Amino acid sequence: MSASSPAASSSHHHDDDSHNVSKFQIYVQIALLLAVITGIEIVAVYLPFAKWIVVTTLVVLSTVKFMFVIFYFMHLRWDKPFCTILFFIGLVLASGTMWGLLALFGAEASRPLPV
Amino acid sequence: MSSHSASATIDHHHDPSTSTGIPNKKLLMWTFLASDCMFFAALISTHLSYRLHPPAGGLDPKVVFSPELTSFSTFILLMSSLMMALAVTAIQKGNVKSCRWSLLTTIFFGMIFLGCQVYEFEHFVHEKKMLINNSMLGTTFYTLTGTHGTHVAIGVLWLTLMYVRSFKPAAGSTQRTWFSHQLLHVAAIAIALLLSLKIVLGLVHSLQVEPSYGAAVGAFFSHQFLSIAGALIAYGACFWFARPRGPVDFNEAHAIDVESMGLYWHFVDIVWIVIFTAVYLLEYL
Repeated sequence: MSASSPAASSSHHHDDDSHNVSKFQIYVQIALLLAVITGIEIVAVYLPFAKWIVVTTLVVLSTVKFMFVIFYFMHLRWDKPFCTILFFIGLVLASGTMWGLLALFGAEASRPLPV
Repeated sequence: MSSHSASATIDHHHDPSTSTGIPNKKLLMWTFLASDCMFFAALISTHLSYRLHPPAGGLDPKVVFSPELTSFSTFILLMSSLMMALAVTAIQKGNVKSCRWSLLTTIFFGMIFLGCQVYEFEHFVHEKKMLINNSMLGTTFYTLTGTHGTHVAIGVLWLTLMYVRSFKPAAGSTQRTWFSHQLLHVAAIAIALLLSLKIVLGLVHSLQVEPSYGAAVGAFFSHQFLSIAGALIAYGACFWFARPRGPVDFNEAHAIDVESMGLYWHFVDIVWIVIFTAVYLLEYL
């Protein structure tokens, strides 16, 4: 999905009408896909599977939705790779913060003392 | 970027006037969004950290939350992202009319999302007794979702200003009162949207409180008559301000402004994608 892909090399021809029409179709298809994935997420939490399977499924599906929005709706697929790098710097720092805090507070030693 | 001629072919993904080849407005927005990622990560992880060890006797999110309403607002926000993407595509093609309609639809969906959030908060406070200061769940939940809602509200305001800006007359036009006209235009849109929100929430409240549909409709009209009249007048004013009045200074060259705003709006959407899973869905496991 990086901007250096063959699809990205054709970005200079975006003014072409057929390209814009296909972009419209891509957006509508992605919106439908996102709606379907959201539906699957809602159903998944009620399925009688092991908790770790459902959690993994939810994380993967959310990540897929996230990536579709940033690469297509936010045009990262067609923009310069620097935009992707810039945003992913923030994203990696944010993910690291979340992972660090959850690991810290998830430890047994972090359990609050009974009052 | 904005100095390009509308008739010239504009490459919306490359700006030769900058050292990075990226339009400065777009670079600014991506930098801001990267920093906002960290801001929301702190809020989300704070909420999740406290959910790891919920206090005994605290509120049960499964009892408090409403998955149907949240799913609906998630769907609405996804569709608003689609309309925002279409608005950007439209203005990149120089199609101002299509861009305006897409912006209006995005504003409409954004207001529905905000209406759902207002209803949800009101329901949690009055029915579920979850306040921001009586439980850790309430504190972290309202802080996180309230901050996101504030981002959505700022986005709706920005969209409204962009929509009104699309009516700016072209250079050389004789419309000297444009600025005062468009201030009134913004005011008319704001009044129409807020009154619509009040009316819809009033209707939902009447349907919940009254014993029958007939009584609910009667109570609704008696309580909301002035609001309905005000909203109709405000919508009429919106149409009047939006009437065609000659060439406008809004075209393909301004696509970067719409695109930068679109980046912000899509970011609000992706933050909600994470909140929906981490804050709502995980509670049902």
